Amino acid sequence: MNTLQTLQQRLLQAVLADNTPRLRELRGDAHADAVTRLAVYRHGYRIRLRDALSTEFPGLRLMVGQRFDAMLDSYVQAHPSGHYNIRWHGAGLAAFLEFSRPWRDKPALADMARLDWAISTVFDAADEPTINAADLADIPAEAWAELCLRPQGHLQILPVTCNVDSFRRAADRQEPRPRMRSYRQPRHLLVWRQALTVHYRPLAEDERQLLNAAMREEPFTALCERLAEYHPPSKALPRMTALLRQWLEAGLIGAYRLKS
Amino acid sequence: MTIETTSSRAPYLGYGLGLRVEHYEALLEQPGNVQWLEIVSENYLVPGGRPLVWLERFRERFPLVMHGVSMSIGGTDPLDDDYLARLAALARHIEPAWVSDHLCWTGVQGINLHDLMPLPYTEEALAHVVERVTRVQDVLGRRILLENVSSYISFADSQLTEWQFLAAVAERADCLILLDINNIYVSACNHGFSPLDYLDGIPAQRVQQFHLAGHEHGGPLIIDTHDAPVANAVWDLYIEAVKRYGHVSTMIERDDHIPPLAELMTELDHARTLAAPWLQRAA
Repeated sequence: MNTLQTLQQRLLQAVLADNTPRLRELRGDAHADAVTRLAVYRHGYRIRLRDALSTEFPGLRLMVGQRFDAMLDSYVQAHPSGHYNIRWHGAGLAAFLEFSRPWRDKPALADMARLDWAISTVFDAADEPTINAADLADIPAEAWAELCLRPQGHLQILPVTCNVDSFRRAADRQEPRPRMRSYRQPRHLLVWRQALTVHYRPLAEDERQLLNAAMREEPFTALCERLAEYHPPSKALPRMTALLRQWLEAGLIGAYRLKS
Repeated sequence: MTIETTSSRAPYLGYGLGLRVEHYEALLEQPGNVQWLEIVSENYLVPGGRPLVWLERFRERFPLVMHGVSMSIGGTDPLDDDYLARLAALARHIEPAWVSDHLCWTGVQGINLHDLMPLPYTEEALAHVVERVTRVQDVLGRRILLENVSSYISFADSQLTEWQFLAAVAERADCLILLDINNIYVSACNHGFSPLDYLDGIPAQRVQQFHLAGHEHGGPLIIDTHDAPVANAVWDLYIEAVKRYGHVSTMIERDDHIPPLAELMTELDHARTLAAPWLQRAA
Protein backbone atom coordinates (compact mmCIF):
# COMPACT_ATOMS: atom_id res chain seq x y z
CA MET A 1 0.00 0.00 0.00
CA ASN A 2 1.47 3.38 -0.98
CA THR A 3 1.74 6.46 1.21
CA LEU A 4 -1.06 8.35 -0.51
CA GLN A 5 -3.47 5.47 -0.16
CA THR A 6 -2.65 5.03 3.52
CA LEU A 7 -3.08 8.73 4.12
CA GLN A 8 -6.47 8.79 2.43
CA GLN A 9 -7.66 5.77 4.38
CA ARG A 10 -6.61 7.33 7.67
CA LEU A 11 -8.28 10.63 6.77
CA LEU A 12 -11.47 8.89 5.73
CA GLN A 13 -11.65 6.98 9.00
CA ALA A 14 -11.05 10.22 10.87
CA VAL A 15 -13.92 11.94 9.06
CA LEU A 16 -16.26 9.02 9.80
CA ALA A 17 -15.20 8.71 13.46
CA ASP A 18 -17.42 9.78 16.36
CA ASN A 19 -14.75 12.13 17.68
CA THR A 20 -12.12 14.05 15.74
CA PRO A 21 -8.80 12.24 16.22
CA ARG A 22 -5.36 13.85 16.11
CA LEU A 23 -3.54 12.71 12.96
CA ARG A 24 0.22 13.01 12.81
CA GLU A 25 0.01 13.58 9.05
CA LEU A 26 -1.80 16.90 9.49
CA ARG A 27 -0.24 20.19 10.35
CA GLY A 28 -1.77 22.84 12.58
CA ASP A 29 -0.61 26.39 13.14
CA ALA A 30 -1.28 29.40 15.32
CA HIS A 31 -4.38 30.11 13.26
CA ALA A 32 -6.07 26.77 13.98
CA ASP A 33 -4.82 23.43 15.24
CA ALA A 34 -5.07 20.28 13.14
CA VAL A 35 -8.05 18.91 15.07
CA THR A 36 -10.07 22.08 14.50
CA ARG A 37 -9.22 21.94 10.81
CA LEU A 38 -10.16 18.29 10.43
CA ALA A 39 -13.46 18.93 12.24
CA VAL A 40 -14.61 21.07 9.28
CA TYR A 41 -14.64 17.94 7.11
CA ARG A 42 -16.29 15.78 9.77
CA HIS A 43 -19.07 18.31 10.22
CA GLY A 44 -19.43 18.86 6.46
CA TYR A 45 -19.81 15.15 5.72
CA ARG A 46 -22.77 14.77 8.07
CA ILE A 47 -24.45 18.02 7.05
CA ARG A 48 -24.15 17.28 3.34
CA LEU A 49 -25.70 13.83 3.62
CA ARG A 50 -28.41 15.15 5.93
CA ASP A 51 -29.30 17.90 3.46
CA ALA A 52 -29.28 15.58 0.45
CA LEU A 53 -31.45 12.93 2.12
CA SER A 54 -33.79 15.54 3.52
CA THR A 55 -34.51 16.69 -0.03
CA GLU A 56 -35.25 13.13 -1.18
CA PHE A 57 -37.52 12.24 1.76
CA PRO A 58 -39.94 15.13 2.37
CA GLY A 59 -42.77 12.83 3.47
CA LEU A 60 -40.56 11.08 6.00
CA ARG A 61 -39.34 14.43 7.29
CA LEU A 62 -42.92 15.53 7.93
CA MET A 63 -43.83 12.20 9.54
CA VAL A 64 -40.83 12.06 11.89
CA GLY A 65 -40.65 15.73 12.79
CA GLN A 66 -37.94 16.79 15.22
CA ARG A 67 -36.24 13.40 15.29
CA PHE A 68 -35.66 13.40 11.54
CA ASP A 69 -32.07 14.66 11.68
CA ALA A 70 -31.19 12.14 14.39
CA MET A 71 -32.69 9.37 12.27
CA LEU A 72 -30.64 10.38 9.24
CA ASP A 73 -27.49 10.64 11.35
CA SER A 74 -28.00 7.11 12.66
CA TYR A 75 -28.44 5.84 9.10
CA VAL A 76 -25.35 7.64 7.83
CA GLN A 77 -23.36 6.39 10.83
CA ALA A 78 -24.38 2.79 10.16
CA HIS A 79 -24.09 3.01 6.37
CA PRO A 80 -21.44 5.28 4.87
CA SER A 81 -22.20 6.47 1.36
CA GLY A 82 -20.83 4.44 -1.53
CA HIS A 83 -22.34 6.03 -4.64
CA TYR A 84 -20.76 8.93 -6.46
CA ASN A 85 -24.10 10.73 -6.52
CA ILE A 86 -24.98 11.75 -2.96
CA ARG A 87 -28.68 11.45 -3.70
CA TRP A 88 -28.35 7.71 -4.26
CA HIS A 89 -27.41 7.11 -0.66
CA GLY A 90 -31.17 7.28 -0.12
CA ALA A 91 -31.57 3.88 -1.78
CA GLY A 92 -30.91 2.03 1.49
CA LEU A 93 -32.87 4.16 3.93
CA ALA A 94 -36.17 2.22 3.79
CA ALA A 95 -34.40 -1.08 4.47
CA PHE A 96 -32.47 0.49 7.34
CA LEU A 97 -35.71 1.73 8.92
CA GLU A 98 -37.37 -1.64 8.40
CA PHE A 99 -34.69 -3.64 10.20
CA SER A 100 -32.92 -1.32 12.67
CA ARG A 101 -33.87 -0.43 16.21
CA PRO A 102 -35.68 1.70 17.28
CA TRP A 103 -37.12 2.60 13.88
CA ARG A 104 -38.29 -0.91 12.99
CA ASP A 105 -40.90 -0.72 15.74
CA LYS A 106 -42.81 1.77 13.57
CA PRO A 107 -43.40 0.16 10.16
CA ALA A 108 -44.92 3.41 8.90
CA LEU A 109 -41.41 4.89 8.70
CA ALA A 110 -40.11 2.31 6.25
CA ASP A 111 -43.34 2.59 4.25
CA MET A 112 -42.94 6.34 4.08
CA ALA A 113 -39.30 6.08 3.03
CA ARG A 114 -40.26 3.59 0.33
CA LEU A 115 -42.86 5.95 -1.13
CA ASP A 116 -40.51 8.95 -1.05
CA TRP A 117 -37.76 6.94 -2.72
CA ALA A 118 -40.11 5.53 -5.37
CA ILE A 119 -41.21 9.05 -6.27
CA SER A 120 -37.59 10.15 -6.45
CA THR A 121 -36.49 7.32 -8.74
CA VAL A 122 -39.56 7.42 -10.99
CA PHE A 123 -38.94 11.16 -11.45
CA ASP A 124 -35.91 10.62 -13.67
CA ALA A 125 -36.45 7.04 -14.80
CA ALA A 126 -35.85 6.28 -18.46
CA ASP A 127 -38.36 7.82 -20.86
CA GLU A 128 -40.69 5.27 -22.39
CA PRO A 129 -43.38 5.49 -25.05
CA THR A 130 -47.01 5.09 -24.08
CA ILE A 131 -49.93 3.73 -26.03
CA ASN A 132 -53.47 5.10 -26.06
CA ALA A 133 -56.93 3.79 -26.92
CA ALA A 134 -56.45 4.53 -30.61
CA ASP A 135 -53.45 2.20 -30.70
CA LEU A 136 -55.67 -0.68 -29.56
CA ALA A 137 -58.61 0.22 -31.81
CA ASP A 138 -57.28 -1.64 -34.85
CA ILE A 139 -56.71 -4.94 -33.07
CA PRO A 140 -59.19 -7.50 -34.46
CA ALA A 141 -61.69 -8.77 -31.90
CA GLU A 142 -60.47 -12.34 -32.24
CA ALA A 143 -56.92 -11.27 -31.38
CA TRP A 144 -57.75 -9.69 -28.03
CA ALA A 145 -57.55 -13.00 -26.19
CA GLU A 146 -53.82 -13.11 -26.92
CA LEU A 147 -53.19 -9.43 -26.32
CA CYS A 148 -50.41 -8.71 -23.83
CA LEU A 149 -50.33 -5.23 -22.33
CA ARG A 150 -46.93 -4.11 -21.12
CA PRO A 151 -46.99 -1.60 -18.23
CA GLN A 152 -44.30 1.08 -18.06
CA GLY A 153 -41.00 -0.30 -16.79
CA HIS A 154 -40.65 2.32 -14.07
CA LEU A 155 -44.05 1.62 -12.51
CA GLN A 156 -43.87 0.64 -8.81
CA ILE A 157 -46.44 -1.02 -6.55
CA LEU A 158 -45.76 -0.47 -2.84
CA PRO A 159 -47.37 -2.23 0.14
CA VAL A 160 -48.21 0.26 2.90
CA THR A 161 -49.56 -0.08 6.42
CA CYS A 162 -50.83 3.47 6.85
CA ASN A 163 -51.73 6.64 4.95
CA VAL A 164 -48.20 7.55 3.86
CA ASP A 165 -49.61 9.12 0.69
CA SER A 166 -51.37 11.74 2.84
CA PHE A 167 -48.03 12.66 4.43
CA ARG A 168 -46.27 13.00 1.11
CA ARG A 169 -49.09 15.11 -0.31
CA ALA A 170 -49.05 17.37 2.74
CA ALA A 171 -45.27 17.73 2.52
CA ASP A 172 -45.40 18.69 -1.16
CA ARG A 173 -48.14 21.23 -0.51
CA GLN A 174 -46.43 22.50 2.65
CA GLU A 175 -49.53 21.69 4.66
CA PRO A 176 -49.64 20.66 8.34
CA ARG A 177 -48.83 17.11 9.38
CA PRO A 178 -51.91 14.90 8.74
CA ARG A 179 -53.30 12.45 11.28
CA MET A 180 -51.82 8.99 10.91
CA ARG A 181 -54.28 6.24 10.07
CA SER A 182 -53.05 2.67 10.32
CA TYR A 183 -54.67 0.01 8.14
CA ARG A 184 -55.86 -3.31 9.52
CA GLN A 185 -54.72 -5.00 6.33
CA PRO A 186 -51.82 -3.75 4.18
CA ARG A 187 -52.91 -1.73 1.18
CA HIS A 188 -50.98 -0.79 -1.95
CA LEU A 189 -49.93 2.38 -3.70
CA LEU A 190 -49.16 2.75 -7.37
CA VAL A 191 -46.32 5.14 -8.34
CA TRP A 192 -45.73 6.06 -11.98
CA ARG A 193 -44.82 8.90 -14.27
CA GLN A 194 -46.96 10.28 -17.06
CA ALA A 195 -44.85 12.41 -19.38
CA LEU A 196 -42.82 14.43 -16.84
CA THR A 197 -45.19 14.30 -13.86
CA VAL A 198 -44.93 11.69 -11.10
CA HIS A 199 -48.25 10.38 -9.78
CA TYR A 200 -49.21 8.07 -6.93
CA ARG A 201 -52.58 6.70 -5.87
CA PRO A 202 -54.13 3.85 -3.86
CA LEU A 203 -54.56 0.65 -5.77
CA ALA A 204 -57.62 -1.60 -5.36
CA GLU A 205 -56.78 -5.25 -4.82
CA ASP A 206 -58.29 -6.42 -8.12
CA GLU A 207 -56.38 -3.74 -10.04
CA ARG A 208 -53.14 -4.68 -8.29
CA GLN A 209 -53.58 -8.33 -9.29
CA LEU A 210 -54.24 -7.31 -12.88
CA LEU A 211 -51.25 -4.98 -13.10
CA ASN A 212 -48.97 -7.64 -11.65
CA ALA A 213 -50.34 -10.15 -14.15
CA ALA A 214 -49.80 -7.68 -16.99
CA MET A 215 -46.20 -7.16 -15.81
CA ARG A 216 -45.75 -10.93 -16.10
CA GLU A 217 -47.07 -10.60 -19.67
CA GLU A 218 -50.15 -12.70 -19.05
CA PRO A 219 -52.60 -12.38 -22.00
CA PHE A 220 -55.83 -10.44 -21.87
CA THR A 221 -57.86 -13.62 -21.37
CA ALA A 222 -55.94 -14.40 -18.20
CA LEU A 223 -56.49 -10.87 -16.95
CA CYS A 224 -60.25 -11.25 -17.46
CA GLU A 225 -60.23 -14.57 -15.64
CA ARG A 226 -58.43 -12.99 -12.71
CA LEU A 227 -60.97 -10.21 -12.58
CA ALA A 228 -63.77 -12.77 -12.54
CA GLU A 229 -62.42 -13.95 -9.18
CA TYR A 230 -63.34 -10.57 -7.70
CA HIS A 231 -66.58 -9.71 -9.51
CA PRO A 232 -69.71 -11.48 -10.79
CA PRO A 233 -69.82 -11.88 -14.60
CA SER A 234 -72.18 -8.93 -15.00
CA LYS A 235 -69.69 -6.58 -13.36
CA ALA A 236 -66.34 -8.05 -14.44
CA LEU A 237 -66.51 -6.81 -18.03
CA PRO A 238 -67.47 -3.22 -17.16
CA ARG A 239 -64.72 -3.21 -14.54
CA MET A 240 -62.18 -4.47 -17.08
CA THR A 241 -63.25 -1.79 -19.54
CA ALA A 242 -63.02 0.92 -16.91
CA LEU A 243 -59.58 -0.18 -15.75
CA LEU A 244 -58.23 -0.43 -19.27
CA ARG A 245 -59.48 3.06 -20.10
CA GLN A 246 -58.01 4.40 -16.86
CA TRP A 247 -54.62 2.79 -17.52
CA LEU A 248 -54.43 4.13 -21.05
CA GLU A 249 -55.47 7.64 -20.06
CA ALA A 250 -52.95 7.67 -17.22
CA GLY A 251 -50.09 6.56 -19.46
CA LEU A 252 -49.53 3.34 -17.53
CA ILE A 253 -49.20 1.12 -20.59
CA GLY A 254 -46.01 1.41 -22.59
CA ALA A 255 -46.59 -1.16 -25.31
CA TYR A 256 -48.59 -4.21 -26.33
CA ARG A 257 -47.97 -7.33 -28.30
CA LEU A 258 -50.06 -10.14 -29.68
CA LYS A 259 -48.77 -13.44 -28.44
CA SER A 260 -49.48 -15.26 -31.65
CA MET B 1 -7.54 8.43 -29.04
CA THR B 2 -6.15 11.76 -30.25
CA ILE B 3 -6.54 14.71 -27.95
CA GLU B 4 -6.40 18.21 -29.31
CA THR B 5 -3.45 19.90 -27.65
CA THR B 6 -3.35 23.30 -29.23
CA SER B 7 -1.89 25.94 -26.97
CA SER B 8 -4.75 28.35 -27.65
CA ARG B 9 -7.53 28.54 -25.13
CA ALA B 10 -11.07 27.40 -25.86
CA PRO B 11 -13.52 30.09 -26.95
CA TYR B 12 -14.10 32.94 -24.54
CA LEU B 13 -17.71 32.60 -23.38
CA GLY B 14 -18.04 35.82 -21.39
CA TYR B 15 -20.04 35.83 -18.14
CA GLY B 16 -22.20 32.93 -16.99
CA LEU B 17 -23.92 31.22 -14.09
CA GLY B 18 -24.06 27.83 -12.52
CA LEU B 19 -27.41 26.38 -13.65
CA ARG B 20 -29.72 25.75 -10.67
CA VAL B 21 -33.28 24.38 -10.64
CA GLU B 22 -34.54 27.53 -8.93
CA HIS B 23 -33.68 29.59 -12.02
CA TYR B 24 -34.83 27.23 -14.78
CA GLU B 25 -37.91 29.13 -15.86
CA ALA B 26 -36.54 32.62 -15.26
CA LEU B 27 -33.43 31.91 -17.30
CA LEU B 28 -35.41 30.75 -20.31
CA GLU B 29 -37.86 33.62 -20.09
CA GLN B 30 -35.34 36.40 -19.49
CA PRO B 31 -31.73 35.32 -19.89
CA GLY B 32 -30.62 38.92 -19.50
CA ASN B 33 -26.87 39.23 -19.30
CA VAL B 34 -26.21 35.51 -18.78
CA GLN B 35 -24.06 34.39 -21.71
CA TRP B 36 -23.40 30.78 -20.80
CA LEU B 37 -24.23 28.12 -18.20
CA GLU B 38 -22.27 25.60 -16.21
CA ILE B 39 -24.16 22.42 -15.32
CA VAL B 40 -23.26 20.06 -12.49
CA SER B 41 -22.64 16.94 -14.54
CA GLU B 42 -23.94 14.49 -11.93
CA ASN B 43 -27.39 16.10 -11.95
CA TYR B 44 -27.86 15.00 -15.54
CA LEU B 45 -26.33 11.52 -15.40
CA VAL B 46 -29.85 10.14 -15.13
CA PRO B 47 -31.85 7.86 -17.42
CA GLY B 48 -34.57 10.35 -18.38
CA GLY B 49 -37.38 12.57 -17.15
CA ARG B 50 -37.54 16.24 -16.38
CA PRO B 51 -33.80 16.98 -15.84
CA LEU B 52 -32.88 15.92 -19.36
CA VAL B 53 -35.84 17.73 -20.90
CA TRP B 54 -34.75 20.97 -19.22
CA LEU B 55 -31.17 20.35 -20.28
CA GLU B 56 -32.23 20.15 -23.92
CA ARG B 57 -34.00 23.48 -23.61
CA PHE B 58 -30.93 25.16 -22.15
CA ARG B 59 -28.69 23.54 -24.70
CA GLU B 60 -30.69 25.21 -27.45
CA ARG B 61 -30.31 28.65 -25.87
CA PHE B 62 -26.90 28.78 -24.15
CA PRO B 63 -23.36 27.54 -24.53
CA LEU B 64 -22.94 24.90 -21.82
CA VAL B 65 -19.95 23.61 -19.88
CA MET B 66 -19.95 20.51 -17.67
CA HIS B 67 -18.63 20.65 -14.12
CA GLY B 68 -18.33 17.45 -12.09
CA VAL B 69 -17.83 16.75 -8.40
CA SER B 70 -17.23 13.00 -8.41
CA MET B 71 -14.23 12.17 -10.58
CA SER B 72 -11.94 11.85 -7.55
CA ILE B 73 -8.95 12.49 -9.76
CA GLY B 74 -6.63 12.32 -6.76
CA GLY B 75 -8.28 9.25 -5.23
CA THR B 76 -6.47 5.97 -4.79
CA ASP B 77 -9.46 3.75 -5.57
CA PRO B 78 -9.57 2.85 -9.26
CA LEU B 79 -11.21 5.43 -11.49
CA ASP B 80 -14.94 4.71 -11.73
CA ASP B 81 -15.29 3.42 -15.28
CA ASP B 82 -19.08 3.49 -15.14
CA TYR B 83 -19.04 7.13 -14.06
CA LEU B 84 -16.56 8.06 -16.76
CA ALA B 85 -18.58 6.25 -19.42
CA ARG B 86 -21.72 8.12 -18.40
CA LEU B 87 -19.83 11.39 -18.31
CA ALA B 88 -18.41 10.76 -21.76
CA ALA B 89 -21.88 9.89 -23.10
CA LEU B 90 -23.35 13.10 -21.68
CA ALA B 91 -20.49 15.12 -23.16
CA ARG B 92 -20.99 13.51 -26.56
CA HIS B 93 -24.67 14.34 -26.38
CA ILE B 94 -24.64 17.96 -25.22
CA GLU B 95 -21.28 18.93 -26.73
CA PRO B 96 -20.17 21.26 -23.93
CA ALA B 97 -17.49 23.87 -24.54
CA TRP B 98 -15.44 21.98 -21.95
CA VAL B 99 -15.58 19.50 -19.05
CA SER B 100 -14.16 20.19 -15.61
CA ASP B 101 -13.79 18.62 -12.16
CA HIS B 102 -11.73 19.29 -9.03
CA LEU B 103 -8.13 18.66 -8.06
CA CYS B 104 -9.03 16.54 -5.06
CA TRP B 105 -10.12 13.12 -3.88
CA THR B 106 -13.66 12.31 -2.74
CA GLY B 107 -13.38 8.90 -1.10
CA VAL B 108 -11.46 5.68 -0.71
CA GLN B 109 -12.19 2.00 0.03
CA GLY B 110 -15.51 2.35 -1.78
CA ILE B 111 -16.77 5.01 0.63
CA ASN B 112 -17.63 8.45 -0.71
CA LEU B 113 -17.24 11.46 1.57
CA HIS B 114 -19.01 13.72 -0.94
CA ASP B 115 -16.42 16.36 -0.23
CA LEU B 116 -13.51 17.86 -2.12
CA MET B 117 -10.66 16.51 -0.02
CA PRO B 118 -7.27 18.15 -0.57
CA LEU B 119 -4.17 16.22 -1.57
CA PRO B 120 -0.73 16.34 -0.04
CA TYR B 121 1.48 18.30 -2.43
CA THR B 122 4.09 15.59 -2.94
CA GLU B 123 5.84 14.08 -5.94
CA GLU B 124 3.99 10.83 -5.28
CA ALA B 125 0.59 12.55 -5.43
CA LEU B 126 1.65 14.56 -8.47
CA ALA B 127 2.64 11.48 -10.46
CA HIS B 128 -0.56 9.73 -9.38
CA VAL B 129 -2.82 12.59 -10.46
CA VAL B 130 -1.02 13.13 -13.76
CA GLU B 131 -1.46 9.48 -14.67
CA ARG B 132 -5.18 9.60 -13.88
CA VAL B 133 -5.77 12.87 -15.73
CA THR B 134 -4.13 11.34 -18.77
CA ARG B 135 -6.46 8.35 -18.58
CA VAL B 136 -9.55 10.52 -18.12
CA GLN B 137 -8.61 12.73 -21.05
CA ASP B 138 -8.17 9.61 -23.13
CA VAL B 139 -11.66 8.36 -22.21
CA LEU B 140 -13.29 11.73 -22.82
CA GLY B 141 -11.25 12.47 -25.91
CA ARG B 142 -10.61 16.01 -24.76
CA ARG B 143 -8.54 17.98 -22.29
CA ILE B 144 -10.26 18.59 -18.97
CA LEU B 145 -10.12 21.55 -16.62
CA LEU B 146 -9.16 20.99 -13.00
CA GLU B 147 -10.36 23.37 -10.30
CA ASN B 148 -8.44 24.37 -7.18
CA VAL B 149 -10.47 23.51 -4.05
CA SER B 150 -10.87 25.36 -0.77
CA SER B 151 -9.02 23.57 1.99
CA TYR B 152 -8.89 23.59 5.76
CA ILE B 153 -6.15 21.04 6.42
CA SER B 154 -2.55 20.88 5.28
CA PHE B 155 -0.17 17.96 5.27
CA ALA B 156 3.15 17.63 7.06
CA ASP B 157 4.63 15.85 4.03
CA SER B 158 3.77 18.48 1.41
CA GLN B 159 6.85 19.48 -0.58
CA LEU B 160 5.21 21.93 -3.00
CA THR B 161 2.86 24.87 -2.61
CA GLU B 162 -0.68 24.35 -3.82
CA TRP B 163 -0.12 26.51 -6.89
CA GLN B 164 3.11 24.72 -7.75
CA PHE B 165 1.25 21.44 -7.52
CA LEU B 166 -1.67 22.64 -9.68
CA ALA B 167 0.67 24.15 -12.28
CA ALA B 168 2.73 20.97 -12.42
CA VAL B 169 -0.35 18.77 -12.88
CA ALA B 170 -1.57 21.00 -15.71
CA GLU B 171 1.81 21.05 -17.45
CA ARG B 172 2.63 17.36 -17.08
CA ALA B 173 -0.86 16.04 -17.89
CA ASP B 174 -1.51 18.75 -20.49
CA CYS B 175 -4.80 19.71 -18.90
CA LEU B 176 -6.37 23.11 -18.31
CA ILE B 177 -7.26 25.06 -15.19
CA LEU B 178 -10.50 26.30 -13.71
CA LEU B 179 -9.37 28.89 -11.24
CA ASP B 180 -11.80 29.45 -8.39
CA ILE B 181 -10.95 32.92 -7.13
CA ASN B 182 -12.96 32.48 -3.95
CA ASN B 183 -11.21 29.19 -3.19
CA ILE B 184 -7.82 30.84 -3.55
CA TYR B 185 -8.89 33.53 -1.10
CA VAL B 186 -10.38 31.02 1.38
CA SER B 187 -7.33 28.77 1.33
CA ALA B 188 -4.94 31.72 1.51
CA CYS B 189 -6.67 32.95 4.67
CA ASN B 190 -6.84 29.45 6.18
CA HIS B 191 -3.22 28.57 5.47
CA GLY B 192 -1.57 31.97 5.57
CA PHE B 193 -0.17 32.23 2.05
CA SER B 194 -0.37 35.16 -0.35
CA PRO B 195 -3.17 34.85 -2.92
CA LEU B 196 -1.11 36.99 -5.28
CA ASP B 197 1.76 34.52 -5.09
CA TYR B 198 -0.81 31.89 -6.05
CA LEU B 199 -1.97 33.86 -9.11
CA ASP B 200 1.62 34.56 -10.13
CA GLY B 201 2.44 30.85 -10.00
CA ILE B 202 -0.28 29.66 -12.35
CA PRO B 203 0.55 29.37 -16.09
CA ALA B 204 -1.76 31.92 -17.73
CA GLN B 205 -2.14 30.02 -20.98
CA ARG B 206 -3.81 27.11 -19.16
CA VAL B 207 -6.44 29.15 -17.28
CA GLN B 208 -9.73 28.72 -19.11
CA GLN B 209 -12.41 29.54 -16.54
CA PHE B 210 -12.96 31.52 -13.34
CA HIS B 211 -15.37 30.70 -10.55
CA LEU B 212 -16.62 33.42 -8.24
CA ALA B 213 -18.55 32.55 -5.09
CA GLY B 214 -19.31 33.53 -1.52
CA HIS B 215 -17.93 32.22 1.76
CA GLU B 216 -18.52 32.57 5.47
CA HIS B 217 -16.35 33.02 8.52
CA GLY B 218 -16.65 30.00 10.84
CA GLY B 219 -14.51 30.39 13.93
CA PRO B 220 -10.82 30.68 13.10
CA LEU B 221 -11.34 29.41 9.55
CA ILE B 222 -13.14 30.70 6.47
CA ILE B 223 -15.57 28.18 5.04
CA ASP B 224 -16.35 27.92 1.33
CA THR B 225 -20.14 27.81 1.49
CA HIS B 226 -21.32 29.16 -1.88
CA ASP B 227 -24.32 30.58 -0.03
CA ALA B 228 -23.60 34.31 -0.06
CA PRO B 229 -22.69 37.13 -2.44
CA VAL B 230 -19.09 37.37 -3.58
CA ALA B 231 -17.05 39.13 -0.86
CA ASN B 232 -15.21 42.39 -1.51
CA ALA B 233 -11.84 40.77 -0.93
CA VAL B 234 -12.66 38.19 -3.59
CA TRP B 235 -13.68 40.91 -6.05
CA ASP B 236 -10.30 42.54 -5.43
CA LEU B 237 -8.57 39.25 -6.14
CA TYR B 238 -10.68 38.82 -9.27
CA ILE B 239 -9.30 42.09 -10.63
CA GLU B 240 -5.79 40.80 -9.95
CA ALA B 241 -6.64 37.61 -11.84
CA VAL B 242 -8.03 39.54 -14.82
CA LYS B 243 -4.87 41.66 -14.88
CA ARG B 244 -2.79 38.51 -15.18
CA TYR B 245 -4.92 36.25 -17.38
CA GLY B 246 -7.05 38.62 -19.50
CA HIS B 247 -10.18 37.24 -21.15
CA VAL B 248 -11.20 34.20 -19.12
CA SER B 249 -14.79 32.92 -19.09
CA THR B 250 -16.18 33.88 -15.70
CA MET B 251 -19.16 32.63 -13.74
CA ILE B 252 -20.83 32.93 -10.37
CA GLU B 253 -21.45 29.73 -8.44
CA ARG B 254 -24.24 29.74 -5.85
CA ASP B 255 -25.30 26.44 -4.28
CA ASP B 256 -27.30 27.44 -1.22
CA HIS B 257 -29.56 30.30 -0.19
CA ILE B 258 -30.22 30.69 -3.91
CA PRO B 259 -31.32 34.28 -4.52
CA PRO B 260 -33.61 35.54 -7.31
CA LEU B 261 -31.93 35.41 -10.70
CA ALA B 262 -31.83 39.22 -10.89
CA GLU B 263 -29.51 39.31 -7.88
CA LEU B 264 -26.97 37.05 -9.55
CA MET B 265 -27.27 39.05 -12.76
CA THR B 266 -26.35 42.15 -10.78
CA GLU B 267 -23.25 40.34 -9.50
CA LEU B 268 -22.39 39.34 -13.07
CA ASP B 269 -22.67 42.97 -14.14
CA HIS B 270 -20.36 43.91 -11.29
CA ALA B 271 -17.81 41.38 -12.52
CA ARG B 272 -18.05 42.85 -16.01
CA THR B 273 -17.58 46.38 -14.73
CA LEU B 274 -14.55 45.44 -12.66
CA ALA B 275 -12.89 43.54 -15.48
CA ALA B 276 -13.69 45.92 -18.34
CA PRO B 277 -10.81 48.43 -17.89
CA TRP B 278 -8.23 45.65 -17.72
CA LEU B 279 -9.70 43.73 -20.62
CA GLN B 280 -9.68 46.90 -22.74
CA ARG B 281 -6.01 47.38 -21.96
CA ALA B 282 -5.33 43.75 -22.85
CA ALA B 283 -7.11 44.25 -26.17
